[in-house]
Formats: sequence, C-alpha cells, structure tokens
Amino acid sequence: MTTQITSARPASSATTVGRPGFAWALPAALFFALFAIVPLIMVAVLSFMSWDGISPPRFTGTDNWSRLLDDPVMLKSIWLTLLLTALGVLLQTPLSIVLGVWAAGHQRNRAVLSVIYFIPLLLSATAVSVLWRALLDPNFGIPADAAWLFGDGNLFGEQATAIGVLAFVSTWQFTPFHTLIYQGAARAIPQVLYQAAEIDGAGRYRQFFHITLPQLRNAMITSMILMIVGGLTTFETVLILTQGGPGTDTTISAYYMYDKAFKGFDYGTGSAIALALVVASTIISLIVVRVSGYDKMRGSAEGVS
Amino acid sequence: MKTRARLPRLVATGATLALALSLSACGDGDGGASGDDGKIHVLVYGDATNKVEKQLVDTFNKTSDVKVVLDTIPGADYQQKLQTIINTPQAPDVFFNWGGGSIKPFVKAGLLLPLDDFIKKNPDLENKFLPSVFNNAVVDGKPYGVPMRGTQPVLLFHNKKVLDEAGVEPPKTWDELLDAVGKLKDEGVTPIALGGGDVWPTQMWFQYLYDRIAGPELFQKALGGDKSAWESPDSKKALDMIRELVDTGAFGKNYDSVKYTNGGSVQLVAAGKAGFELMGSWYYSQQLTDHPEFAEKDLGYTAFPAVEGGKGDQANVAGNTNNYYSVMKKTKHPEAVAEFLKLMYSDQFVKAQMDIGNLPTTTNTDKFIETSGTPEYSRFQYDLVADAPSFQLSWDQAYPQKASSDMHKAVQQFFNGQLDTDGFIKAMQALPTE
Repeated sequence: MTTQITSARPASSATTVGRPGFAWALPAALFFALFAIVPLIMVAVLSFMSWDGISPPRFTGTDNWSRLLDDPVMLKSIWLTLLLTALGVLLQTPLSIVLGVWAAGHQRNRAVLSVIYFIPLLLSATAVSVLWRALLDPNFGIPADAAWLFGDGNLFGEQATAIGVLAFVSTWQFTPFHTLIYQGAARAIPQVLYQAAEIDGAGRYRQFFHITLPQLRNAMITSMILMIVGGLTTFETVLILTQGGPGTDTTISAYYMYDKAFKGFDYGTGSAIALALVVASTIISLIVVRVSGYDKMRGSAEGVS
Repeated sequence: MKTRARLPRLVATGATLALALSLSACGDGDGGASGDDGKIHVLVYGDATNKVEKQLVDTFNKTSDVKVVLDTIPGADYQQKLQTIINTPQAPDVFFNWGGGSIKPFVKAGLLLPLDDFIKKNPDLENKFLPSVFNNAVVDGKPYGVPMRGTQPVLLFHNKKVLDEAGVEPPKTWDELLDAVGKLKDEGVTPIALGGGDVWPTQMWFQYLYDRIAGPELFQKALGGDKSAWESPDSKKALDMIRELVDTGAFGKNYDSVKYTNGGSVQLVAAGKAGFELMGSWYYSQQLTDHPEFAEKDLGYTAFPAVEGGKGDQANVAGNTNNYYSVMKKTKHPEAVAEFLKLMYSDQFVKAQMDIGNLPTTTNTDKFIETSGTPEYSRFQYDLVADAPSFQLSWDQAYPQKASSDMHKAVQQFFNGQLDTDGFIKAMQALPTE
C-alpha cells in the first residue's frame, strides 16, 4: 500500500491500470439522480411558487426570495446556523483528536472503553434529543439536583443556554464518530516515525505535536467537512429540544425551513430556504476543500519508506 | 475513454432510468392503495383518550366486515402530519380535527365529504348532539364533522394540599389569584405550573384574560380582519395584567424549559411543587393516568377567576368546543364509515368518555352524569359549559392553521419579555386571518 501511494506516478500511467468504466458508477448515479437531483430540481421550481399543500401551486416569480431577503428571522437564522456549526467544530475537533489518539492504543481497557463511548452514535438523533430534553427538565432532571451549576435550570428559556444545550448534545452524540476517524488515522501512522523521534530524544508531547498531529491532517479535513455539513443541516436536535425557541432565538435555517413549510404551510418559502441552504453548504464545503488542499489528495507518508 | 463506447452506454443508461422510473411508479400505485385494503383508516390525535377510541374500534370490528384501523399521531405533530398527507393517497378515510377553522381549508379544496347524505339516512347523526357543538363543524351551511370526544373548557386546576398548607382558598377573582400567588411564593412553591416549552399552554392565559376584560367581541373583530382591535385599550389592559402576573413570579423563572406534553408541568402539580395549572379539561384524565393517587385525592378545579370591571361576561369559558371526525370524499367505504360514526352517540361511548373524565356533548350525556366515574367533575363541567354565554375557541384553532406558529412565537416572546406591548400588538396584527 505504502509504495503505491508514495511513488508519484506520471499522470498517463493511470489509464493503464484498467479502471472500470462508467457502467460501474451507474447504480449509484441513478440512485443519486432519482433521490437527490430530481427532488432538488423540484424544490428549485417550488421556490418560485406559492403552495399551501392543498390547493394547486401558483407561480409567483421571485416573491418568496425577495421576502426572505428582507426577513430579519432569516438573517438571524443564518448567523445562528454558522454559530452552531462553529461551536460544533471547535468543541468536537480537539475532543475527538485526543480521544481518537488515545483509543488508537491497543490496550484491552482502551478497546472496552471505546466501545462504550461509541454507543451514543448508534442512537438516533431523535432519541438522543428526547432523552436530553427529559434529563434537563428543570424540576425533575439534572438541573434540579445541581442547582449550584444550573441556577434556576431555565436552560431552554434563554438564548445562550439553549444554544449551549444544542452544542453540547450534538457534541455528545457525534464526537464518537469523529473519534473513530482519528482512531483509524492514528493507527495508520507508521511506527518508524515514533521510533526515529524517540532516538532523537523527542518526548511524548513533542511526538504528539510534531508527528501525530501533522500526520492526522487529512483525517482532520475529512472530519471537519463532515462536521460543517452536518452542522449546517442540523435539524432534529433543534426540533425536539428547543423548537427554535425561546421565540426565534435558536431558529437555525434548517428549522426555519421546517417552520415555514410544515407549520406555516408556505412550501414555496420553505423551498427557497432549503435551496439557499444547499447552495451555502456546497460553497462552504468547496472552500474548505480548496483551502485545505484536500482536493490534491497528497499522501501524508511522503519520504517515509 | 473511447467515444465509440459511449453511445451504447448512454442508451443503457436511458433504458435503466426509464425502467427504474416505471418501477417507482408501480411502487406509488401499491403504496397509494392504503384506502383500498378493505379497511377504514381513522387518524386520531395521540393522547390519553385513545383508549376510548380503541374500545370503540374493537366494538365496531366485532360486527363489521370492513375493519377500522386506528392510527394515532403524537399530539404536537398532528396538524403537520395531517396537512402533509391529506391530499395524497396516504390520506386517512376519517380524521380527528377541531372543527371550524381547522377544516375550512380542506372543505375549500373539496377534500371532505359533506355529511348531509349520512344524516338524511340516519337523522340521529345530527339530532343526538347538542346543536351549538354540532354547528361548530358546519362550513358554508353543510355539516362536515361529527363530535367524537368531549367538550374541553379550560379550567384552573390546583393541588388541594398545597393550597391548604399555604392557607389559600381557590380564587374566585383575579385579585384573589394574585393574593394566592403571593402566599404560595412565600411557601417556596411555584405558584402556577406552566408548560411554556409547548407555548399553547401559555396562550390560554391570553385567551381568558382578553375574554374577561374585553369580551369575546375583541377577538372576533380581530379574526374578522379588523386588526385595530389589538391596539384597543382593553387589549393593552389585558397585556398589562399578564405582564404583572409574570413579573410577580407567578410562573417561576424556568417555565419555558418545562413542558406539558412530556409530563413535566403535570408532575409539578402532582408532586406538590406547584399550586395551580391552567389547562383544558383533559388535564383530569392526564393526571388520572400519570398520577392516579393524586388525581383521586388532591386534584381540585375551578373556573377561571373573574376580573373586576371586565366587559366580558365572567361566566364565559374558553377552550375547545369539541373534537370532530370528518370524512374524506375519497373513502371507498362510506356506508361502513356512517355505521362507525353512529358509535359516537352510543351509550358505550358516553360512559367510556365519562369514565376518564371527558364530557361528551350528546343528548344522552345528562342521564349518565350521575353514574359516571367522576360525577362531580362531569357535573361541574356540564354546568359550566351549559351556563356560559360564550365559548371562545382556542386562539390557535380559531385562526387559520398557518398563523399558529407566528402566534405562538409572539405569545412566548411577550411572556418572557422579548416583546413589549407594542411589539406583541404588531405581531398579532401581522397574522393572516384567512
């Protein structure tokens, strides 16, 4: 494996490998077209219509879009979405790197603890949210027994604490997943690097910062893209934990879309928000890919062997 | 890749796509047959009353060839689910609703079956119900719903033990309520439990205060399209009184983190951590299910207190007139549906509803009150509703469904101080009225 990645092949030699033709990608492409592209086109069309779900839809031109641009709640929802996404990345990345590197060790106790720690990922976001909503009940949940920390326990009644709960719950659920990514990546780091460093007299921390972290670069980019896209499309946690409240204080864009479409029965505006979200997520992912050099897929083990 | 090879592949792609599309079309056809499986699907709001609906379905299925299937949707999501499926092949045959504004859009879209023909064949489907209640599901002169639960006035419930310990009598007037709030606060309990996380329980305070202070006319005017009603002095007075109540700490500080729908506020009262809770009459059956011992011993109830100097009749009630079963035009078994609806005025139905504390609005209700499981509670509700000059339908049910989300936001934001009086008035004026 290592030699294949490291030896920089001339571009022309790729064709000689005999890669499978387009037919191999057909099932996936078809699936994607039917269940992603077609609905996306329909959403795009719907965003220029007025439809309440019962009477026939009517074309209204760019009405939905111009109303959205003037909508203070929409603007606020974009900031809230970015804030929650950033909080997710900032909280989960360091945690999952440390846990992932720790779990990469082959000791029995680490394996057992990793399995236990992995459990939240197996639960659906809905179940997790219902669980935490019950656990955080101000009168009968954790806050009631830890008043020194939670005060009156009004976690869902104020913006700062409500956002805090949302960030905490997604961290609780998704850190195991990113830990898994880092665990795999950390195990793939060639042992020779550590052996060489040890001979040179590098301690544990220097090894971590000068070998482990740089070697995890690709894993970090993968995990961050997943976090960002996941953060931008967060929905269930908000729906069940805060319902966008208090007022509109945790109404992120994805929830605002639901609010418009399925509570206000204004499917046109809902579609416009959905389309804006798709465009925004795509652009942000592209930027991350570009800036990080992920698209060039450089190997991280150059010059090792 | 060679160009020659591309064409056949493209053709293959096209063919497969066409195949897949036709396959998925077939799938649609099969899935759409939900109304065609020889059964009647009845969609109901999921809560404690479902056990009565299940009993009735069992009774019906014993004798009928066409079986009824009961589908329940957890409360909070009922309206979204209904609106999403009602114009699709997955729509039920019969569905639960609140009458009035909640079915009007469906009638306008031509989705509902007028019940005239059913009633012509069996006049009891109309005659066996109290007219004022039956008429709430009449749209454009035609009946579209049969009452299927009980009438649900909103009442002020209390924990007798907590009130006794604080030396508080159940309040008859607003001032007495404020006084009780002060005493309960001194005892260290939350005076009034409120499931602010659900928001509609918060709205009940607005409904009653507006009705007590301004009478039902203000809201009717606003709903009729005259939005200046929200700016009237009476409207501002009601808002001031709500503000005062919230600011004295009547609801504690963390009401927005408490929910009624997950049993949080219910438990607060049952556990003696709160004195009062304003809730629909279904509260009794909820407490009976969740905390039977408390419900039988210490659960008390009164009408909403009178407001001195208010223009509204102080005997008015607010809440839900009743719930209704409406029938979809596309149902394949109208005869069986008509048979099923007959059960809604049967003795079995009336007794079962009363046993869990609900009060049906059939003409035979009166004779069962004394033998019901909760005669006192039934009698109290029955007299309250019978004596009320006006029954204000819940605001979020009276307004078009699409307004409810924004209405709830305004209510919550006024309560927690994010909106001031003018902000709330503007938000209410911005709601669509049709």
